[in-house]
Amino acid sequence: MKKTEIEFTLNGKKKKVEVKPSDLLINLIREELYLTGTKYACGIGECGACTVLLDGEPVLSCLTLAITVAGKEITTIEGLAQDEELHPLQRAFLEQGAVQCGFCTPGMILTATALLKEKPQATEEEIRDYMRGNLCRCTGYVQIIKAIKSCTTGGEN
Amino acid sequence: MSQFRYISPKTKEEVLKILEEEKSEACIVAGGSNVLPYIRDKIIPPKLLLDISGIEELNYIKKNGSNWRIGATTTISDLISSKIIREECNILCQAAEQFADPLVRNKATIGGNLADASPAADTAPPLLALDAGLEVESKGKKREIFLKDFFLGPRKTALQDDEMITGINFKSDSLNKPGCFIKLGLRQAMAISVVTVAMVLEIEENRVKDIRVAMGSVAPIPLRLFNAEEFLKNKHLNDDLIEEAKNKVYEEVNPISDIRASAEYRCYISGILFKRALEKLTNQTS
Repeated sequence: MKKTEIEFTLNGKKKKVEVKPSDLLINLIREELYLTGTKYACGIGECGACTVLLDGEPVLSCLTLAITVAGKEITTIEGLAQDEELHPLQRAFLEQGAVQCGFCTPGMILTATALLKEKPQATEEEIRDYMRGNLCRCTGYVQIIKAIKSCTTGGEN
Repeated sequence: MSQFRYISPKTKEEVLKILEEEKSEACIVAGGSNVLPYIRDKIIPPKLLLDISGIEELNYIKKNGSNWRIGATTTISDLISSKIIREECNILCQAAEQFADPLVRNKATIGGNLADASPAADTAPPLLALDAGLEVESKGKKREIFLKDFFLGPRKTALQDDEMITGINFKSDSLNKPGCFIKLGLRQAMAISVVTVAMVLEIEENRVKDIRVAMGSVAPIPLRLFNAEEFLKNKHLNDDLIEEAKNKVYEEVNPISDIRASAEYRCYISGILFKRALEKLTNQTS
């Protein structure tokens, strides 16, 4: 199948790549652009491990065709830290011990950044509701919720 | 994944023209949360994927007097963040808030949820209860299909090969009455429903003046329960009557057994959710 050239922004940098219509965004990110922070797990949009931000909104990269992101802005977990400075959510996940095997962590953190942008004062209930599609098979939810809560305005440390 | 061509038209006219030429060769996709897993599992083998998610003219929520119109590519997240949907069409907001998860809602569209024609489609029961109609177009032709006539079976609809859903409409009169949506899933997140119920109810002097009930996952199609509605109309609501109405519900539903629940359990639960919806709405009105 013929490849099409697309241009998009990945973590603030312009990228020009050739893709087939059937190429999934997750495969483009991991296998062509070598950013392996985005995880492939269920492949059918059930688990949230492959979450990336598309124009700031969390979406599932396993259910997104690469060709559809032409002209758009993608942020992966690699794009959150500023130089050597971790994003507050990344720091909070470390401090709260919210990372066990780590496979769900990139998706968790990206969904949480969108939540905090939308609701900086999110309550625990709102956090649990918003994070409902990101699964942690180590079941470390208590620490994950705690880490996110600590980044809300008025959140405990 | 199997290979296919891909086109992302920028206007509705372009889509209709391509549909006229390609007919069943083309598969319309918007959010992709159904279509991509189907392609992966070889349930549909599209030759051409027609991506309508970028068509701005199909993304809107409009209220003109008592007439509501929602564009086909309006996402489930768009419904949740819409102030007028929340304030004046809360039954749809309730369904949207229980739909999958925020990641899927950001891409899944209301038109796609209906066109997929799953008996478990979460937006179908509230729209059936609102007497919604679908605006359907093909090249040079427009028609309207009542939602109750749109679903023909699991993943089967009244749409022709060259047609697409462009919008959904309904009238406000059913919205002046309290409405609710209750979903029973095996868990809260990402649950495909075991049974859902959407109900709009108007009580006048303790009599049922108007009632509209629709259920999901209890039949091959999202189901409007006309017999149960007729049975309750103009009657005084009391416990005995509700028990009798539950029997009407049992007669009308026709569920299957699957990995989520048995047919017997679904049938039993449909009566329970029906009663819960009635009680919830009568408590709100009294």
